[in-house]
Order: sequence, then structure tokens, then C-alpha cells
Amino acid sequence: MKKAPKVNEVNEFLEIASDFEDPLEVIRESLSNSYDAEASEIEITIRSRPQGSDIIIEDDGNGMNERDLESFFDLGNSQKTDSIGYKGHGTKIFYKSDRIVVNTAKNGVNRRAVMDNPWEKLNRQELPEYELTKADVRDENQGTRIKITNFRSGEGFDPESLTYNKIHHYLKWKTIAGSTAHFFEDNPREMDIRVDLGEEIDDTRDELVTTSRLEFPDEQLEPSDDEFPAERMCKHYEPREIEVEYDGGMTTVQIVGMVGGKAARNELPTHGRHSVQFGVWFAKDHIKVEQINETISHDNEFIHFFFIVNCQDLELSANRETIRNKSNPVFRAVRDEVEFYMSKVTQDPWFKNYLEIRREGKLKRRARTQESSLQDRRKSVTERERFEPSNRAEVLLAVERASQQQAGFSLQVEDYQPDADIQAIVRHQGKLRNAAIHHQLTEHFKNESPLEHIDLIIYWEQGDPTKLNEVERTGYIGGEIEIDHDSGSITYQRDGDSSYIELLSLTDVFKPKTKAIADD
Amino acid sequence: MSQVTRRFDFEVDAVAGDARTGTLRIGSQELATPNLFPVLNFYGGGTERSVFGGGIHRTIKEFMIGADRIGGGDYSEYFDCTMTSVASLTDYNITHERYQSYLDTPIKERELFEPYNGTLFVDSGGFKFLDGGDIDGSDFEVDIDQEKIYEIQKKMGADIILNLDHPIAPDDSHEQRMEKAEKTALNIAEFLDLSSDFDGARYLTLHGYNYSMMDAFLEKITSIVDTREIHEAFDGVALGSLVPKKDNRELLIQAVTDCQEVLQDWGFDDMPLHVLGISSRAVPLLAALGVDSFDASSYLHNAINGKYYKSMMESVPISEVSFENCDCPVCSSELHRQRMRGDAEYQKDIYGAVAVHNLIIQKQELATIRDRIRAEGTAPLREYIESTVARDKQTRQVAHKVVNQSLGGYFQ
Ligand SMILES: [Zn+2]
Repeated sequence: MKKAPKVNEVNEFLEIASDFEDPLEVIRESLSNSYDAEASEIEITIRSRPQGSDIIIEDDGNGMNERDLESFFDLGNSQKTDSIGYKGHGTKIFYKSDRIVVNTAKNGVNRRAVMDNPWEKLNRQELPEYELTKADVRDENQGTRIKITNFRSGEGFDPESLTYNKIHHYLKWKTIAGSTAHFFEDNPREMDIRVDLGEEIDDTRDELVTTSRLEFPDEQLEPSDDEFPAERMCKHYEPREIEVEYDGGMTTVQIVGMVGGKAARNELPTHGRHSVQFGVWFAKDHIKVEQINETISHDNEFIHFFFIVNCQDLELSANRETIRNKSNPVFRAVRDEVEFYMSKVTQDPWFKNYLEIRREGKLKRRARTQESSLQDRRKSVTERERFEPSNRAEVLLAVERASQQQAGFSLQVEDYQPDADIQAIVRHQGKLRNAAIHHQLTEHFKNESPLEHIDLIIYWEQGDPTKLNEVERTGYIGGEIEIDHDSGSITYQRDGDSSYIELLSLTDVFKPKTKAIADD
Repeated sequence: MSQVTRRFDFEVDAVAGDARTGTLRIGSQELATPNLFPVLNFYGGGTERSVFGGGIHRTIKEFMIGADRIGGGDYSEYFDCTMTSVASLTDYNITHERYQSYLDTPIKERELFEPYNGTLFVDSGGFKFLDGGDIDGSDFEVDIDQEKIYEIQKKMGADIILNLDHPIAPDDSHEQRMEKAEKTALNIAEFLDLSSDFDGARYLTLHGYNYSMMDAFLEKITSIVDTREIHEAFDGVALGSLVPKKDNRELLIQAVTDCQEVLQDWGFDDMPLHVLGISSRAVPLLAALGVDSFDASSYLHNAINGKYYKSMMESVPISEVSFENCDCPVCSSELHRQRMRGDAEYQKDIYGAVAVHNLIIQKQELATIRDRIRAEGTAPLREYIESTVARDKQTRQVAHKVVNQSLGGYFQ
């Protein structure tokens, strides 16, 4: 005995409708339907209502006959599964509402379908029905108007979070409105899309008007002469159709794209997470699906690139967000071919030159920063009254200077290793001595440099005296320490051994000797 | 002053970007360029009966002359040119007597090599004799110097000869390189003197990895030999010292690109350019950059390592080959298919056959490259590179670089 698995139709509807959360997906589905109906004008109106949102989509397309209407409402009898995802599923998103009204005119007949409380009924395990009425209209009257009342968004989705910006971005990146098909077709069909949001949603403008084409910012092959010369540079990479052979067949890949700086990329209709939108996109029906930035070799920042790779042999997941057939030979062959194509783009002399101009711009800006910081430094040199070291190397310069200028001061630096614990070996009164060099004496203790092998600590100034006191009070690396400021020495005792370290403050050497004034 | 009738002539027939195809004429011989000179030891220690021996070299020579031992056949078109080195005489323990008797008759005039009439390029062997090379000529009681080298080149019956040079090594200091350039320059002076009545082609050796090194080399040379004399006396330029860098494609491309620039700046760019010791995957790229000839022993070394060329880009272990996909005369012969499968008394007959197949593959690809250069525009050669070298991930970037640099790029 053969048994067919049963389908609970109500649950099926519920589940498919639940896959869609975002009212924007209503727009995506409607636009695709309008495009298929060869519409040239589409108007989308969205109003926020207490229960959800009202969405009205109106187009001047070919309209629907009864069979089309059945497809619109039914599950699984669409013949168009080869198009974006599963077209038969898309319109089921409308079921998440209180009322669906479709008015559609075709060949002199207007059909009106009304479905009341579809969501409520589905949730009561009841299959909602629609009422169909017909009326004659003039042949020229064509088009479809769909009104969805109180559309329920997904959990936590607020229709008021929609803005013109967000919709524009979504249209251009995720729907047929951002199609790159026009690059490849001789007579591409065009649609004008108008979106009208209620004031309670976004009152920054009256409406949004856009087309069904994704255009690139104008080319600018030469650098500008401002501070960021490469920022507006932009090159288009002409549409290319490449035949790809794979284990089991042939497919066609259509690639079009641009490379450009930040200012050029900002002219693309995007907002928000700007950076993640660039790179290389796989597309089906010329609608971007998923990024494959790994096809750009790692040493090139994908952010400079925006390429759309269309391949009709890609299969999409039910919600159209990802590619489903990634383990198939066709996907791998296409990806390899794209990688090869992108390797040519990244080696394109124009791109190399663009990177070079960016680099030069950066160096120029750095030189300017250098210049202003040099100006500051020269100013402080001019203004100060005496030589004032501010780092270890300058402390060494102070030593040399003191040897030349101060009678009776004899100290020569014979060896200097900036990274060593004991940085210098100096000749002092004929003897070689191991010397630590610091700008401030306190640094020595802060760095926990050992004291055992040091004969001398040379520094410019003492630093915070309380820090030195704390060292004396708490001990240093397991030993006892005593700093004698009067005689200029440190005594350090650890494990029964005692070290004696001489201190040499250069501030004292440079201090103009004040002669004692006789008080007679 | 009477003009000496030069036996040598180089004529460019077609160009595609920087790539060019032409004809080298030496006496009555004509050689299409770009072309590959397979490296071959004509002397391999044996007697005339063993084609002067030489293991795998012997088998290759038997192919070259279509000997009975390899079942006959005409392979001469793949031996339209060959490269050998003076140093090859020293690869075997040759006695003084045998050395003298071997050089009695020029190679191409021997009855044995009668079917062979390719262009014979005889290297000076500087890389083997000099500067730490392991051979000094004492085996056959000959002091190797420029005079001796030239004498051997002449006695072998060379069509193209090189002066005795001192190749540089990757870690040489500037001073060491200049010292070598000076020694080379002294050889050049002597070479030009000795060979003034040589009726083949004389190639000048040039060493360096970039423009400045080659420029400094030429500065040194011309401080000893007059620039004009060099220009008048030499017929071609051979770029050397690249063998240790042969796997560094980036450097190789840079060196050849810079070499062309140096030659241009020195007014030597009307001479054909030969790159010593480089072949296989680099060939299409170097040809695209305008190199006219190459020499290599890779066809043979790969065969010895059991590698069978499927194309210039790809080789497979000989044990995995079915030979049906190759219609070359070697693979078409039942005898050689059997031998390549391992059914042969001597290893040299297995690997010799593979080597000749490998050579044929390279020669056929070069013929394709010449055709592509002759075709209209740069697109045919560009497409060739796009479908061969650029498909290899290791060489992809340099391939694109060459296409961009010398063939007009992909996005014009
Ligand atoms: Zn073959």
C-alpha cells in the first residue's frame, strides 16, 4: 500500500509567512511582481496604524487574470520557481495582516479580491478565503492595486523605524530597483518607483522617487588636487559576459563593477553600515545576494571595490538571503572564475595608480603634520632659556655638552644601547663605568631595572620625590634601598650583597652656579 | 674601408606590444624567433659509435639524427637550434688525446651528425669554470682562458658564441660584482680581438638583476672596451645570472624589463636578446616582454625526474600518462610508448623519449606564441597568456603585470 505524506496547508501558510519579518520584504515581492507584469510606474504607500502598517502598492502593469490571482493567493502553484527564490512563496507574506484587497485590471475586466482577517484565521487553524468580483472597465485601464491593512511586522519590528533613507537603501541593494541588468541588455525595461511614507513614519520629505537601475558614480580617472586626491577617483569596469565551464556543463557569468575612493562610493545609494556593502557580490536576476570578498586577494582592501557578479545558475535559499548550492561544481567554478577576473582588476595599472595616489596623499598629509609639529618644536626651542632634555638621547647630548662647556666636568659616552637595561658605558675620570641613563631618576624604578651591575645613574631631573620615598619605604626588587640626595648616591642591599651607585643629576651641572654673597 | 659581409642578420617580422617575432639568419640558416634552444651535451664521453655517449643526452642526439636505435624518424624540426657549453667537454673524464681528437671536426661537419643542421649556440661555460665553479680544465690539461674557450667554440663549429663571462651570484657585494665585470671586460677585449674573423654571431653577456646593476656592468665594460666597438662587433645580447633566481618570477620579469630599458638607453636595442638558462612557464611572459631566444635544460631534467609535460604549464608523473592525448611523433610511436611506460633496457631510453616529448611540447608552444604575435593586434597573445600562465596561481600576478606592461592591459 502506498501512502502520500500529508500536508497541513494552514501550517504551511503560517510557516512561510513567518519566514518574512520585515515589511520591506512586502515591497521586494511587490516590485518583482510589478516588474514581471511589465509595469513602468509603481507607487508604494506606507502608513503606520495602531495594529501594524497599511501598505498600498499600485502599478500600471499588465494586471492579473483569475489564474494569476490564484497564484497570488495560493501556495505552490506558481510556474515561476526558476526566478528569484520561490516566487510562489513571496506574496504569502501578505497573509500577516487583517485584510488584503487586490484590484487588478486586465483586458477590459477589473477583478477585485478581498480577504478578511487572514492572519487571525490562520492562527485559528482556518484557511482564509477571498471573495472575487468582476466588473467591466475600458481596455486601456490596466494595472494592479494591492492594499494590505494592518500588516504585522516581526517581533519587535516597528514600522516607524522605516525611513526614506532606509527604504531607498533597501530598494537599491535588495530589490529589482537595484538591478544591474541594464548593463547587459540592449533595451532594458525601466520602472519609476515612488515611495510615500506617512508623516508619522518619516516627515523629512514628501516622497522618494527612484528607478529600477543601479548606476555607478560617474567616472573620474584622474586625481583631484585637494587634500585627499584619490577620494573621488572612480573607474568603471565595463560589463563582461564570461562563459564558465564546470564539471557537468557551462554557465554564463555577468560581471560589472567599479573601483573608487570613499567620496565616489558615497554617491551610491547606501547608508548605515557602509563598509560592509562593498566588495564583490553574487547576484541572481541581477539582484545582489551574498558577498564573496575572498575573491579579492588579501592584500587588497575590498572596500575599494564594488562588483556585481550575476549568475542564473545560483540557487537561493527560500528567504533569498543566501546562496544554497555552494557545494556544487557550478558554484566553485564560478567563484574561481571571479577570483581570476578580480586578479586582473587588482593588477590593473589604473588601480595600482589609484593606490599610489592614495599613498602619496597620505604621505603629503603626514608631511604637513610634521611641518606643524616641527613649527611647534622650533618655537619651544626659541622660547626656552636653556637646553632642556626631554628624552634619554637628549640627556646624552647634555652629557656631551656639559663636557665641553663646564670646566671640571669630564664624562665621555663610549657605548650606547638604547634597548639595554644599562644603556651606556661611559668613561669617567679615566675609568669605564656602567651607566643607566634616564630623563627622570624615577623611571629607573618604574621600569624595575636591576641595580646590581650599575655604577652610575645619569639623569636630567629627579622626578616625583614621593615616588622615590615609596621605593625607599617598600624596598626594591627584594632588597633594601637608601637614596642619599646630599652625597648623590644609592646604597642597595640584597641577599647580603651591597651595591653603591653614584647619582649624577645634569640639572645640577647646568645650574648657573650662584656665588655666595658675603653678608658683610 | 671595406665593409665586411656579415653572415649574421636579425630581422623583426611582426610585433605585438613589446613582443616580437623575427628571423635570425646565420649564413644560410634561418631560425624563427622567439625560439628555445634545448641544452644538449654533444660530447658525453663516448665514441662516435655511441654518438659520443652521454646517457640521456645520447638518446636525445639519436632522436636528433633519427638513428636506428630509436627506430628512426625525422625529428629535425625540433632541433632547429641547440645550445651546448664548452664546459660540457669537462663533464666527463676526458683525456687530453680524446679531447684533441674530439675537436678535430666541427660537430655539424661530422658524418654522424649529417642530418643535423640546427643553429648551434656554444656558451662559454663561465659559470662552470670561474669564480668557484668546480671545473678548471685540468682533467684534460688545458688552461681555461678566453683564448682557449674561443678556440673550442670555433672547433665545435658554433654559429653563435659568447665571450667568457663571470656571472654574478645573488649575494655578491657591489665590489665583487664590479670585479667580475672588470674581468669580463678584459675577456671581452680579448674575445673581440681573437674572433674578429669569426663568421657566426657573437653575443655579449650582460649580468644584473635590475637596471642599475646592468648599467653599472656596462659602465665597467665600456671603461675598458669602447662602446662603439661593442656595438659594432656584437650581434646580440645574452642576459645571464638569472638561473639562481629562476623561480622568482617577479624578479625575472623585472630583470628582463630593466634589461630592455638598459639596452635602449645604451643604443643596443636593435640586437636580439637571449636569456640564458630560463624556460617553461616563464617563456610566454619573457616572449611577451620582447625576448627573442631562450635556452634551457628543463625538458631533460624534468624527464629525468619522471615528469611528462602536458603543456608548458603542467607536467604529470610519467607513470600516470596514457600518451593518447599527445600526437607528437614520440607519443605516436608504439616503440616509444612502450619505452616511456618503463619497458626499456636502459633508463636513458625511457627518459630520453620523455625528454624529446617534453621538448616537442615546448617547441609547439613557441610556434603558437609566434603565430599569436604575427596575428593582428595584441589580443591574441594576451588571450594566450590569459589562458596559460595567468591560470596558474603562482604566476598569475606576474602574468597580469606583463599583460599590463607590454600588451596593453585588460581594461583599455
Ligand atoms: Zn608526446
